[in-house]
Amino acid sequence: MFRRGQSTATALLFLAPFLISSAIFFFYAFGRAIYYSFTDFNLFNDPQLIGAQPYAQVLSDPSFRRALANSLVFALVTTTLQTVFALLMAVALNNRLRGMAFFRSAWYMPSITSSVVITLIFLWLFQRRGVANYLVTQWQTYQPLILTFLIGLVVAQIIQVLLERRAGQPAGWFDPALAATSALGAAAVTAALVFLGVTGVREVPPFDYQYFADKWITLGGVQVLSIPLLVIIIQNTFTTVPTLMLFFLAGLQNIPGSLYEAADIDGATPFQKLTNVTVPNLRPVTFYVITVGLIGTMQMFDQVAVIGSAAPQQTIVTLAYYVYTNTFKAGAAPVNMASAAAIILALIILVMVFVQRRFFPSEAR
Amino acid sequence: MTVLQTPHHPAPSAAARDRWLARRRWARAGWLYAFMLLMSFFFLGPFLMGLLSSLKDDPNEYPPRLLIPQLSAQYIGAAYDLGVQGGGGGWNGGLYPGRTVTFDVQVRSPQGTPAAPPSVALFPYQPVSLVSLTRYAQARDFAQVQLTPTGTVGDVQAYRVTVRYPALTRQNGQRVTGELTAPEGDRLSARLESGRVVPLILDTPEAQAVQFSLSQYQPVELVERGGRYYLAGPVFERTPLQVDVQRGQTLVSSTLPPSDRQNFGRSLAYRNVTPGILGYTFNNYRRAFNETTNPATGTSLFFSWMLNSFLYAFLRVAAAVVFCSLAGYALARLNFPGQTLIFLAFVLFAQMVPSQVNLVSNYVLLNDLGLLNIWGLWFNGLVAAGGVFLMKQFFEGMPRELEESAAIDGAGPFTTFWRVMLPQAGPALIALAITQFQGAWNDFFWPLVILRENTDFTLTVGLSNFRALYGGQGDYGLILAGAVLSAIPVIIIFVIFQRYFVDTGADSAVKG
Repeated sequence: MFRRGQSTATALLFLAPFLISSAIFFFYAFGRAIYYSFTDFNLFNDPQLIGAQPYAQVLSDPSFRRALANSLVFALVTTTLQTVFALLMAVALNNRLRGMAFFRSAWYMPSITSSVVITLIFLWLFQRRGVANYLVTQWQTYQPLILTFLIGLVVAQIIQVLLERRAGQPAGWFDPALAATSALGAAAVTAALVFLGVTGVREVPPFDYQYFADKWITLGGVQVLSIPLLVIIIQNTFTTVPTLMLFFLAGLQNIPGSLYEAADIDGATPFQKLTNVTVPNLRPVTFYVITVGLIGTMQMFDQVAVIGSAAPQQTIVTLAYYVYTNTFKAGAAPVNMASAAAIILALIILVMVFVQRRFFPSEAR
Repeated sequence: MTVLQTPHHPAPSAAARDRWLARRRWARAGWLYAFMLLMSFFFLGPFLMGLLSSLKDDPNEYPPRLLIPQLSAQYIGAAYDLGVQGGGGGWNGGLYPGRTVTFDVQVRSPQGTPAAPPSVALFPYQPVSLVSLTRYAQARDFAQVQLTPTGTVGDVQAYRVTVRYPALTRQNGQRVTGELTAPEGDRLSARLESGRVVPLILDTPEAQAVQFSLSQYQPVELVERGGRYYLAGPVFERTPLQVDVQRGQTLVSSTLPPSDRQNFGRSLAYRNVTPGILGYTFNNYRRAFNETTNPATGTSLFFSWMLNSFLYAFLRVAAAVVFCSLAGYALARLNFPGQTLIFLAFVLFAQMVPSQVNLVSNYVLLNDLGLLNIWGLWFNGLVAAGGVFLMKQFFEGMPRELEESAAIDGAGPFTTFWRVMLPQAGPALIALAITQFQGAWNDFFWPLVILRENTDFTLTVGLSNFRALYGGQGDYGLILAGAVLSAIPVIIIFVIFQRYFVDTGADSAVKG
């Protein structure tokens, strides 16, 4: 369109601010980090090359190993949870009903507020005498009623479906209209039983669990996942699901409706439609969501930094936080070790993305 | 794909089948809405709980209540009245010299228990603070409390607590407020609201007695008469009152509910009996601003954090709108060697590498340049790779004809970009501005690394400091109030520009 030489010059001019700032704050920094990771730099001395020793030091540091394990567990669990939940929620939101725009906006709230704010709120919710423990106490208190209701619901549903089928209607086990009636019936039965004194609320001591303590879920004697990190996983899923849900929603709207009509004609159940039509067609989006999820979760920092001393260090330390604390350690900071850890973190992310791209092709079959 | 065979049954009539299907559709919609509502509670619940609890006197109360006195019309009205009585007005409250405040307490003493009156006293309140805070004068040292019985109904006795704060001067004249400046020797002077500094006259022994106990920044009320200013006394933001009832007695009601009950319900603390609406319902919010005073300047640190956050967000948005659209346009529409390489390396690769890698180098570099402040922070994230990606995706979607017709008219690349393409890019620019604002406002890692002075902090860094300083003591009122305040700007922007949020990224990412 434009003459080539002129075009190149213009393009470089347009790109200049971006290229210059990236060169200084990204590529130069990246290079320097690699360089530091082979030196004895501690922020105050003149760096001397000492070979791969910092890497050896980092790898033998128990704190780094804990950070590595925490990061990997966190990334895998969180990415899985957020992808699955985002997909299911997007499917629910994709129904063409009145008011869906409102719900979409309401659900999006956790994504717009800062991780610091949400971490603070979660710290408060998960206090020893906090709302989370209160809800557990309530659940324990009302357990007999809830169980009665659920049993009533299932029994009523089975009876109703069998009756409908005898009447010649093709009722499914999860038929929504029958389930609504079953729920009403079960509620009435529960109320009657409470009135007769057959069942009732239990007296339970307040649930007094301390979430931000040195508690671990172990697997064969190995500490896999700490409870504080589990709280961060819940929180992170809570904040990221809405954004990822939007990606899925955008993808869902690109699936031709004719596919669903064909499935309907074949008499597919909603679950079959999900696994046979929706999921395969969403493959490119799923690929993108998993990539973004892995990159984001491997770099998780904010939550750990905000929680800080409120939980024992080894329960929540991640690679990103390890790099940060080693860079700003009081006294002579082992910046070379921090750089080495950062390079290792970058490599893990790149390998993860590469593996995912290589072995899980994004194209729809 | 598996195919389900519909089981064969005697078919009901077509009309019955239609009714059945319609009923099913309605029920499905009903379940769906119920599910949506449930999920809305899940996603909004923590915020609503946080918002509600940030208004409470004690956000840690257990079991948590949803109905709180801070939102009841009766108590808000009482808080307003008490603020007016204290002299600070119905909104701000406070206790001013020469005012008298009355507060009613009803106590039940059942048969056989002493019907002796409760004991009342003012107690000191010294806020814990982010930095060593100015020590303000306490109402306890200036005001007197008196208890008078006002009647008995059955086994309930009513009492009236009167808080009297005599003025330190007996002069009459116009009342003005100001704040003390740093004392020079033994001479006190005050800065009026107009900014003028005037010498103070201490004309009574009571006034002279407090000459050396008041510190800088102490708000005071003065009486002006003939161009001379007499000290009427310090002004108190709050008047904390304690009421102890006798053994066996219980509190029935009081003008405001007690903030705290100790000693098996016998010691009742009222953190502020002259609150005004701001001091009652929005107490934690007011504390967030007032209790973070910087001793060097007397200004609120929280307020400066807020300004810093706005400044940083504004700078980021301005830079992104200019530079990202330029770079995005060049990558999308101009042909030049190395285009793909630049895209892969500078945009995609840069987004993949964690920012911790660049931590040391950028910190050292900005430190050498003396830029460990907002400007360095801005400089560090001048052109966001994500923003370039967004603009590139947008420009790629625009029709070629626009440029072609511009080229036919003899426009160069810059004119084409500036006159033809950019005016078309409105929605994309808004989306870009919003994502950048949100990103900058919520940014935590780089501000934490780069900002070193607590006056330079952005809100996120300041709030994480709140956590470190107040969280240990369980003072979540302040933390929650700070969190709510810092969430408000993004929420407002979200409500206004909702559809841009919802469209941003999602479409471009899926297309890309």
